[in-house]
Amino acid sequence: MHPAAWIVWATCAGLVAFTTTDPFYLGLVVAVSWFVYAAQRVPGPTERSFRVFAIAGLVTMAVRTALVFFGTVDAGSVAFAALEGARLATLLIVFGTFNAVTDPFGVVRLAPRRFHEPALAAALALSIAPRTIAMVGQVREAQRLRGMHPSAWRALPALAVPVLETGMEDAMTLAESMDSRGHGRGRRTRYRPDPWTTGAVIVIATSLMAACAFLLAAFTGAGGLHPSTFPLAWPAADPRLLAAIALLLVPASLPRRTNHEGASAR
Amino acid sequence: MSVLAFDGVSFSYPDADRPALHDATVEIGEGTFVLAVGATGAGKSTFLRAANGLVPHFTGGRFSGRVTVDGRDTLEHAPRALADAVAFVPQDAAASFVLDRVEDELAYGMENLGVDPAHMRRRVEEMLDLLDIEPLRRRSVRTLSGGEQQRVAIAAALAAGPRILVLDEPTSQLDPQGAEHVVAALQRLVHDHGITVLLAEHRLERVAGFVDLALGFERGSVAVGEPAEVIRRLAMGPPVARLGRLAGWKPVPLTVREARRLGGRLAPFELPGTRRATPGERLVHVRDLHARHGDSTVLRAIDLEVRRGEVVAIMGRNGAGKTTLLRSIAGVHEPSRGVVAVDGRAPTPGVDVALCPQEPEVVLFAETVADEVSSTRTARGLSDDPAPLLQALGIAELASQHPRDVSAGERVLVATAAIAAVEAPVLLLDEPTRGLDPSAKDRLALFLRSHADGGGAAMVATHDVELAAAVATRVVILAGGEVIADGDPGAVLGDSTVFAPQMTRAFGPGWLTPEQVAEALA
Repeated sequence: MHPAAWIVWATCAGLVAFTTTDPFYLGLVVAVSWFVYAAQRVPGPTERSFRVFAIAGLVTMAVRTALVFFGTVDAGSVAFAALEGARLATLLIVFGTFNAVTDPFGVVRLAPRRFHEPALAAALALSIAPRTIAMVGQVREAQRLRGMHPSAWRALPALAVPVLETGMEDAMTLAESMDSRGHGRGRRTRYRPDPWTTGAVIVIATSLMAACAFLLAAFTGAGGLHPSTFPLAWPAADPRLLAAIALLLVPASLPRRTNHEGASAR
Repeated sequence: MSVLAFDGVSFSYPDADRPALHDATVEIGEGTFVLAVGATGAGKSTFLRAANGLVPHFTGGRFSGRVTVDGRDTLEHAPRALADAVAFVPQDAAASFVLDRVEDELAYGMENLGVDPAHMRRRVEEMLDLLDIEPLRRRSVRTLSGGEQQRVAIAAALAAGPRILVLDEPTSQLDPQGAEHVVAALQRLVHDHGITVLLAEHRLERVAGFVDLALGFERGSVAVGEPAEVIRRLAMGPPVARLGRLAGWKPVPLTVREARRLGGRLAPFELPGTRRATPGERLVHVRDLHARHGDSTVLRAIDLEVRRGEVVAIMGRNGAGKTTLLRSIAGVHEPSRGVVAVDGRAPTPGVDVALCPQEPEVVLFAETVADEVSSTRTARGLSDDPAPLLQALGIAELASQHPRDVSAGERVLVATAAIAAVEAPVLLLDEPTRGLDPSAKDRLALFLRSHADGGGAAMVATHDVELAAAVATRVVILAGGEVIADGDPGAVLGDSTVFAPQMTRAFGPGWLTPEQVAEALA
């Protein structure tokens, strides 16, 4: 799918999550994200980013809730903090999904020519995190094979040093490779821009509809976007808004990027 | 007219006590196939990197003399300004990828040069065909096997249409068939398109017969000449050259054909029992092993036994499942079906089995080579004297050096030492010959032999048929995740068109090493 359609999808899903603290809506956005991730993930190191951001989301939520215990503690304020945390977590999960289903470099290609360099730098920076995680896995395995227990504090250098040094060496090789291949000569042309497909247009249209529904609800105060925590009340969900979130599922139904099946055996 | 000229070039890396290149004067003409040979650390990589200005632009250090590429001085032009004239493929191809999708990666250099989109499109298609990677075009470069990555990196370098292509050990990760493809493609570029190809390579058997010119490196000095002459002077060379030296032939042969002409036909070597080990008790027992990798099945119904005293070479195409087999035996890859037993029980990683991974870098963390070995031994509760192991691998003199400052080949030996220090009876090495020069390879072969003779068993996944010929007591060939051949190296390698070592190609089945042949000829 055209990367621009993914950008619209992620922005709209993010907007939906941003406008509400209702656990039903947020839960449904998370579920939708998972389905989209499962159906559209791109094999490769970025595939993990869904899990990474999901974990980061849970941690954020826990920390946000724990902060309450430094002040006046009552059921209402705990619930309020937890829902705020859930909103942040959902935003992170949407971002993680976006990362797992797009090729960050495909996004770079959408950048206007003069923003190409900063966009490429950003994409490379984004691609470092998942690669580092993969590297940590390899190093842990190698040290385990030396009879070292990577969980022990004393084994920390055995884990950190190879990851950092290899990371540095790889960064150097990459910088050399980019320069050797003419990066920064200032003149650029573009190879095969991604084609627009009907699917991409439908995704953009439905995503915008979902976002508009929530923005409308936010402006009119309808739909119970923010369940009451003072006094604490059971949250409600408007079926029309639930249906709007379901529109974000459309990308999951599109065919997956072709020729991507069967990552080679190693 | 020369497209690449070195004029009295000397270079020292910052903080180095001796120059990496010393007074190098070389002129290379258009459409020449040039091979750089020499031990690791002799200056080959520095020379290659100076050819497009990475040395000194990216390294700093003291540089004197002049390098001109297509008439342009590399001191005045940064590598990016030379990108239309010279392309560089580093040894670690995977780390050189900028973008994610194969097709985009091929176009990256041309995009930077501002090549017209229609021309760019045509060029990408040509490169996909030339390197035989069309089926990979939409794949992510990170999901490819090592050999596939290498071919993509070469195609990406070539796509920009350089006059000179510089490659640092381009076939080191490739299976024999893949290496032949790459060398044939390079040769076609030289012959049909007038491109100058400059490559460094340790496995001379793969390229020595094809090149026009050789650069011999010895402690920073360069000698230029006929390939046969340079290789003879360096006392290196493919197995046929080794045989030539043992038999006293002049000039030393570089190809199988020349060796056959000189040696004549030999009677088939006595099969079986070329190098049959006295079979000891069973150490590794693999029964009906199936393994998956993500969504794909990588190993199918593998049955395998390895006994004490054996050195088993595991061979097969890139992606045939060699690495997964070793990882399953080491107990770090969960089989989807079947059983792996080491010494009668499920393997404990680092106790029953030691596995040295493909990238030695993931292992190394200590301050010195000696510490690298002692820290393994301390962790396993063994006496922490690293000396005997370093001695056995022939790296005792590196003991006080930093493990990342030694040459690529020596890094492999250091990582092997760090892993083997657990003293597990089963030693597994995954593609250990990458970047290994002949002397380091000999040391590794000796170590494997002594490990097996000492009552252990070793398994080596390798593309290097000559290593297999030199050290294996048994060869197992995998294809598509299944064992398709298992037996005596003379029989298995002798019976293969792809995996036959040079001696087999020259003198028939059963002949494996130059030493055997020389003895028979004498």
